[in-house]
Amino acid sequence: MQILAVLMAGGAGTRLTVLSDKRAKPAVPFAGKYKIIDFTLSNCVNSGIYDVAVLTQYRPHSLNAHIGIGKPWDLDRQRGGVHLRQPYQGSSADLDWYRGTADAVYRNLDFIQEKNPTYVVILSGDHIYKMDYRPMLAYHREKGADLTIGVMNVPLEETDRFGIMTVNRNMRITEFHEKPKERDKGPLASMGIYVFNTDILLQRLSEGTPEAPRIDFGKDVIPAMISQDKVYAYAFEGYWVDVGTVQSYWETNLALTTPEGRDSINLHDPNWIVHTRSEERPPVKLGPQAQVINSMVSNGCVIRGKVERSVLSPGVYVSPGAMVRESVIINDTWIGPGAIVERTIIDENVIVGAGTKLGFGEDMTPNQDMPDKLNTGITVVGAGAQIAGGLTIGRNVLIRSDRFESEFPGTEIASGETV
Amino acid sequence: MNSLVMIMAGGASEDLSVLTKVRAEPAIPFGGKYRIVDFPLSNCVNSDLFNVAVLTQYMPRSLNDHIGVGKPWDLDRSQGGVRLFQPYLGPGQSGWQRGTADAVRHNIYFLEEQRVDTVLILAGDHIYKMDYRPMLNFHQQMQADVTLAVRRVSPFETHRFGIVSVEGNNRVTGFKEKPRRSRETLASMGIYVFKADALREVLADQKLNDFGRDILPAILRTHKICAYTFEGYWADVGTLQAYWESNMALLAETPALDLYDPEWVIHTRSEEQPPVEIGPEAWVGGNLLSNGCVIEGVVERSVLSPGVRVSAGAVVRDSVIMNDTVIAPNAKVERSIIDKEVFVGEGAEICYGVDNIPNRLYPERLNTGLSVVGKRARIPMGIKIGHNVLINPGVTETDFQTDFVVSGETV
Repeated sequence: MQILAVLMAGGAGTRLTVLSDKRAKPAVPFAGKYKIIDFTLSNCVNSGIYDVAVLTQYRPHSLNAHIGIGKPWDLDRQRGGVHLRQPYQGSSADLDWYRGTADAVYRNLDFIQEKNPTYVVILSGDHIYKMDYRPMLAYHREKGADLTIGVMNVPLEETDRFGIMTVNRNMRITEFHEKPKERDKGPLASMGIYVFNTDILLQRLSEGTPEAPRIDFGKDVIPAMISQDKVYAYAFEGYWVDVGTVQSYWETNLALTTPEGRDSINLHDPNWIVHTRSEERPPVKLGPQAQVINSMVSNGCVIRGKVERSVLSPGVYVSPGAMVRESVIINDTWIGPGAIVERTIIDENVIVGAGTKLGFGEDMTPNQDMPDKLNTGITVVGAGAQIAGGLTIGRNVLIRSDRFESEFPGTEIASGETV
Repeated sequence: MNSLVMIMAGGASEDLSVLTKVRAEPAIPFGGKYRIVDFPLSNCVNSDLFNVAVLTQYMPRSLNDHIGVGKPWDLDRSQGGVRLFQPYLGPGQSGWQRGTADAVRHNIYFLEEQRVDTVLILAGDHIYKMDYRPMLNFHQQMQADVTLAVRRVSPFETHRFGIVSVEGNNRVTGFKEKPRRSRETLASMGIYVFKADALREVLADQKLNDFGRDILPAILRTHKICAYTFEGYWADVGTLQAYWESNMALLAETPALDLYDPEWVIHTRSEEQPPVEIGPEAWVGGNLLSNGCVIEGVVERSVLSPGVRVSAGAVVRDSVIMNDTVIAPNAKVERSIIDKEVFVGEGAEICYGVDNIPNRLYPERLNTGLSVVGKRARIPMGIKIGHNVLINPGVTETDFQTDFVVSGETV
């Protein structure tokens, strides 16, 4: 039995706003020193899958640099290992970009054929979870399935966010509804984890017609397969989060600042290490004035101020008198003296000037440009922005990447503004 | 100039007591996530010296694991790279190495193979950041046979070093190994640049086994020896007090040894550990904390290696705590050096009381109030342990006869 894992890492992740401006969603930092894709990649190697293709399209540079030859995951191998696959031009009509997940796999069919695995495991590169794929593969064989889909129970009121499966007594899938508005389809949501028999995958992906294209697994391929193939659901119980929105990204990070949250993902498990490319950084340095509680702080941080319920990536500097609360701060950001940062996600290399207040006030006006994405009171600052000292910036504010001090309209930026 | 670096990592360093009972000194953790040998190794690669041999003899396992193929230092190379040399037997070979010079002599065949014209000999147990290139240039300009790196030390410390006398033109004219009293205060740092030919020549005399003790005094008249003055931070952490002080010095607002310098990164083999987790009751002012630490209690003015757990209600002050040690609830640790994987039981107190009776077995090693706990020791709950106490590696709860270990005792 040979298994090839295909990680879908090409999506733009637009709901994460500026965090995915310069990088694909799987490359967004998470839990301090990790990136989102580390969880899926580590699941692969911890499950004994050493043949992994990562399909990229949107802004792959950060992802390419992070994965490299796969050293941190021991995926720099003679046989197998990690393959980063970019869209390319060929002789056929493949002149367009990938149009969806199934299309991306279809355009790499030659690669799959060359590898000739028995099973192809299709994974999403943008979920946070720890899962051993081996029991699922064993289940797939046991059932004699053509396709097995990883599912988990979600509350009925959230079923409109997921692809919902209806199954019979044997867990065979009888119906599939993509983000149904009705609440009567049951609680089994697709996790975007598919185990395919390779021959079936190749066949079904090749069957696309202009009327019934094969662009997306959830929309096109799976509904078509349910009627003619043996499609089973595999129930997964455990920690699994889709950090696709600003709110869920923030919440999932903040959960790590509580003992219960940390226990649920347990990054300390020696039998299930989450590997990442660690930068070489010195230990965390805490000045004598530092006050840090309920937080996660990565190597290379220097803290001289106050940090509460926050997650700090490597190399963040918190100046004396500064206060960071309920925030996620990404690599090498500098928080000036006396600055107050609350309920804010700050991307890398940002400068927050002395005395500036971020996430200030109780005014919850949703962001005017993207009210659907920023409406829960979280302010987001893009990479490389330079925020002058003495500003007061409200909530649901979006500060785009690389904004200079001179590009700010004044000293007060009300809730819901975009800079 | 074609240089080879040889790092001396074989000594037993008995002054470090229980820390070197389980490993060679260069493999002792330092500054949280580093090990002592990371400093000379990183200096080498940051000085563009990629041909490095590490000479081991005493307890090398930890060092072998740590250096491996040299990946963290980019020393896993097809040309040059890092090599770990162990003592070996052979025709006409006696086996064990009797000193630093003897260690090099054992590997002289390697020197021939490498066809280098300059050999840089380093100690594996010093903490410093130094670009070796200016020293190598100086050596060449002076057309010296041997160049020693030297620095000024306080007159009270001359007995710990080799002290050199220097003439105006940087020529070394005298050398005294660890003199009790000395008018001179220029100390040798244990960094030697040899012309390869000169090195071969001086090693031919089989009676000379140590660079500082034997070779330098013997060749003073016959060879041109120059002194190169180094001004930067340099610490010989060969005693418990010096080791503790050098760790504590990292806690200063602007430490003399800057680990955060992007131009001179100290590379190490990092374990894959999550970020530091700090709990609701924690107090963590003035520390160096490494990845994987979980802090629920109070930690002040301390250096913690990866994976240390300080439970709620526990207090750690002025201490160096190494990897994966667990401090149970309400335990109190002050002025201590605690090795890896130690368990300090609930409510135990280390460095209890205000007396300062030197350790009875090793008064010359342990007399400044520090208590030292060896690797994987288990400290029983509720016990009180005084100052200058030595707890050997691997002792368990049953090895403690009383619930109060008075100052100066050894368990």
